[in-house]
Amino acid sequence: MQTVIEHPGTVEEAVGAPPARVELDPRQIERVVLPSKTLTSVERVGVYQGMYLLRMVEALASDYPAVAHWMGEERFEKLVSRYVQAHPSVHYSLNRLGDHLPEFIRRSKGVRKKEFLGDLARLELAVTEVFDAPQSPAWPAEEVARIPEAAWEMAVMKPIEAFRLAAFGYPVNAYLQSVKEDRHDYPEIRRKPSWVAIYRKDYEVWRLDLTKPAYEFLRALSRGRPFGKAVAEAAGRLQGAAGDRLFRWLRDWVAEGIFQGIDASTSR
Amino acid sequence: MSVAPQGSSFYFGFEILEFGLKPAASGPGANRWGFPDLGIGVGLRTVHYAHILEKWPLVDFFEILSENYMETGGRPLRVLDQVVERYPIVMHGVSMSIGSSDPLDREYLQKLKALAARTRALWVSDHLCWTGVSGRNTHDLLPMPLTEEALAHVVSRVKTVSEILERPLMLENASTYAEFAASSMSEWEFFGRLMEEADCGMLLDVNNVYVSAYNHGFDPKGYLDAIPPERVSQYHLAGHTNKGTHIIDTHNDHVIDAVWDLYRRSVARTGNVSTLLEWDADIPAFDVVHAEALKARAHRAEENTVALAAS
Repeated sequence: MQTVIEHPGTVEEAVGAPPARVELDPRQIERVVLPSKTLTSVERVGVYQGMYLLRMVEALASDYPAVAHWMGEERFEKLVSRYVQAHPSVHYSLNRLGDHLPEFIRRSKGVRKKEFLGDLARLELAVTEVFDAPQSPAWPAEEVARIPEAAWEMAVMKPIEAFRLAAFGYPVNAYLQSVKEDRHDYPEIRRKPSWVAIYRKDYEVWRLDLTKPAYEFLRALSRGRPFGKAVAEAAGRLQGAAGDRLFRWLRDWVAEGIFQGIDASTSR
Repeated sequence: MSVAPQGSSFYFGFEILEFGLKPAASGPGANRWGFPDLGIGVGLRTVHYAHILEKWPLVDFFEILSENYMETGGRPLRVLDQVVERYPIVMHGVSMSIGSSDPLDREYLQKLKALAARTRALWVSDHLCWTGVSGRNTHDLLPMPLTEEALAHVVSRVKTVSEILERPLMLENASTYAEFAASSMSEWEFFGRLMEEADCGMLLDVNNVYVSAYNHGFDPKGYLDAIPPERVSQYHLAGHTNKGTHIIDTHNDHVIDAVWDLYRRSVARTGNVSTLLEWDADIPAFDVVHAEALKARAHRAEENTVALAAS
């Protein structure tokens, strides 16, 4: 029955397909599932089969609203149909159903603007991951002043659990924002690198556009690069008053609650 | 004050006065475990979070979909923690897959137990169904073959689940759209024997009885009359979609009069039991959902008056 329910075609195709035929000759189906006064046995199983794909589409459209918007209803449903054939749900929660969608899009053939769509899916997956990530207390901004100056060189900063950092080949954050705001001034889908920090603050998910140097600096810090080295490397990539910019970025990120703490022990 | 179940190996320790609840009535209307009548509740749904947090509406209790809070550390859990402080909570799941031939998911059950502790849930329910085999989850409530073999299988699993959760399991009758030729008993007979042999309870969904009766051509009144009243811990009510040839349990509309009639018939047997309205698609404003739920209170009162007059 499950084989039929998960089949992407019509219910008649499903009961006649090889995986189902191995279990049951379609001519024998009435010997397993009773017909009702109004529906044949196949039609009754078809009620479940028809609802399966709708449920999967609804779940993935909820997690990937911008991907669904870009593709349109029909193409998105076809994508989902192929996706759940390759990655059926194996978890008790539908929250995890879409975990492989960005990679699936990246590997798919015949998907229009595949690289853009893959980037968009990566961003939306990051949003759902951040939405559901465990809560961790943010490092209070006033704590910054309490770190001894000598400890900063080797200090290691720890981001909150609800934090992701991503680089894209397309301006997907702008596209997602226009979809969320139901605007119609979508950015032109042209290659243009973009960098985004996705994090949760006060139980809301935020998406912060970054410049490339800011992204690289934040990536180094969030990956545990000692503060002194991260600053030196970032300063080397910047021109002019690098110290001021790095300090301003750091101050803003701490104020946004992106870090949960800092290991400033001098024994490192 | 705590309520101890009578003649049960389970102990719940409900702090029911915390919410000003009354313990379950004794006598013919009392349920097997002394579960309190929580009154009339509604499902806690995301689209209503803002309204609930702002208005703190007068709702007797909330029911949560367990799986919606088991895989998140974000806003849903934060909202739930706040709701738990103000309302009684019961938990209702859709992924236990008690009828599946796959092994029970122990990690799932441990998380379910932890959530029940966190929410101080008064009881935990799921469905008599299977949701998938071979490690897959169709996220649907698929029908069981109602056979002796299936009964023995489910009895054994319910006992295991109850031991893990350290509380009795309540199972809901799902709406079904197909029947198996191999079935050797009716659903109400299956439920009656299951509850007796596994010592579990029933979340009686009156709309589902109506839907399945329509789809399979049995008498819904006969179904309700066959359910042991002391095993009913909660009622569900909902709207559905009638396709002519069959009915789909869509939870997207008001409860129809025929279902209200069945509800009253069942309440006459069970006495007042916690009742919840489900509205899960095309969800209207909270007040609309709550007003629909509160119709149950009027139906209960009317039925109580009839019973009193008859006595």
